[in-house]
Amino acid sequence: MNLLEFSSQTWISVGIVAGIFAGSAILIGVLILIVGKVFKVDVDEKITKILENLAGANCGGCGCSGCSGFATKLASGQGDLADCHVTSPEKKAEIAALLGIELKDEERTVAVIKCNGGTENCGEKFEYFGNPTCAGCNSLLGGNKLCAYACLGCGDCKNACPENAISVEGKLAHVDPDKCISCGACISACPKHIIERIPASAPVYVACSSKCRGKDVMNACKVGCIGCGLCAKNCPHGAITMVDNLPVFDYSKCTGCLTCVAKCPRKIILTRGVAQAAEKTEAAQKAEA
Amino acid sequence: MGTFIAIVLAAVLTNNFITVKTYGICPFLGVSKKTQSAVGMGVAVTIVMALATLVTYPVYVYVMVPLHIEFLEIIFFIFIIASLVQMLEQVIKKVSPSLYNTMGIYLPLITTNCAVLGVTELVIGDMSQFLNGAAMNIGWAVLYALFAGLGFTLVMIIMSGMREKLNYYKTPKALAGFPTAMVTASFICMAFMVFTYIQI
Repeated sequence: MNLLEFSSQTWISVGIVAGIFAGSAILIGVLILIVGKVFKVDVDEKITKILENLAGANCGGCGCSGCSGFATKLASGQGDLADCHVTSPEKKAEIAALLGIELKDEERTVAVIKCNGGTENCGEKFEYFGNPTCAGCNSLLGGNKLCAYACLGCGDCKNACPENAISVEGKLAHVDPDKCISCGACISACPKHIIERIPASAPVYVACSSKCRGKDVMNACKVGCIGCGLCAKNCPHGAITMVDNLPVFDYSKCTGCLTCVAKCPRKIILTRGVAQAAEKTEAAQKAEA
Repeated sequence: MGTFIAIVLAAVLTNNFITVKTYGICPFLGVSKKTQSAVGMGVAVTIVMALATLVTYPVYVYVMVPLHIEFLEIIFFIFIIASLVQMLEQVIKKVSPSLYNTMGIYLPLITTNCAVLGVTELVIGDMSQFLNGAAMNIGWAVLYALFAGLGFTLVMIIMSGMREKLNYYKTPKALAGFPTAMVTASFICMAFMVFTYIQI
């Protein structure tokens, strides 16, 4: 049977071909419909709604593979909404209402790199010519810095950051607090574990992670914390405790009086945010006078 | 047995889809950054290739040839493959969610993959050079499609492995990233050219 020999006229042949296509399209359409009905997957409406309210950064900071994974985890009752640091509080409130849980009050946080070593202050054990990533550098004798807790400055955190908030200057990473969404991608990328979340309003932070004793720190780095404890002793609000030769801040007690900044003999408690701005204007006023 | 070996060797090595026939270059360069995703893509392509041939070959032989509408094969095959992939996706989603998570994201990409359309077109063409004298039938067609998919997966894994290793070396700035992948691809293709001298 030759379908196209029914007529010698072109338009009828075209019509036949169009008919064949229309027929098979309907047939396949019905087939897809049947398969879709038979193998229907019940998608939890909750999950799609939660997903709509999540920030959609797909940063992986919560430990799930993307936002959809986190939404599934939340819908099944596991997972903590606080694990997501990207979603705005209003959206989180909506998700909490969807899940029927109470939203804990939480403040916006930002990541800081707790090291101020760099090439100037902290020397090198050896010259490193290998794979230009922190992970690669760290796998060779724990990195090429004299201090075992120093920022290696190869920029693994910079590459992990979805918001381009991290810059590396002089082999030292720096987080731009305005751009940081506190997703935690850099925290899990850093092989030295020296990136930490602090409240966005925190006036000060310690730019050192060395747990070594004072003399060892002195030999390795010009700006390392020697664990003298002067900041903890002099803090008028009792916001600082010494843990493993490092001061730990309780930011709920800290008022931003900057006594610790003045007392620190190594000048490694750095000001940030509002306090930093105030200090700058003070310095400018002094310069004018 | 001779035909079986001839088809397997032809599909995997001497007429490899990526390196010799240069089909499926988009996934070859696009999804070969990590071995895990390359394997997922390869498996998805293999399954879709075999399944598409299983459907299109009988449609061509038993419907299109008797009706003398062979000239519609490309449009018809695209039609069939696209709907087949959609159905497959739905079935996998229901039957095995874990398989869907590893492979599912690549399935929609394959609907318009030239390697899949290429294998369905090839098996209805002149296959006498691979058949070693045997007559073409649906069994050989699906076998060829299956091993063509496995050949595709093999090259994907080789490429992704090399690209992963190359990440550990410093490349000149002008060649960093995609240009390196192109150079790597050309070397793999040259290496596979050796197999064309195999006489079956």
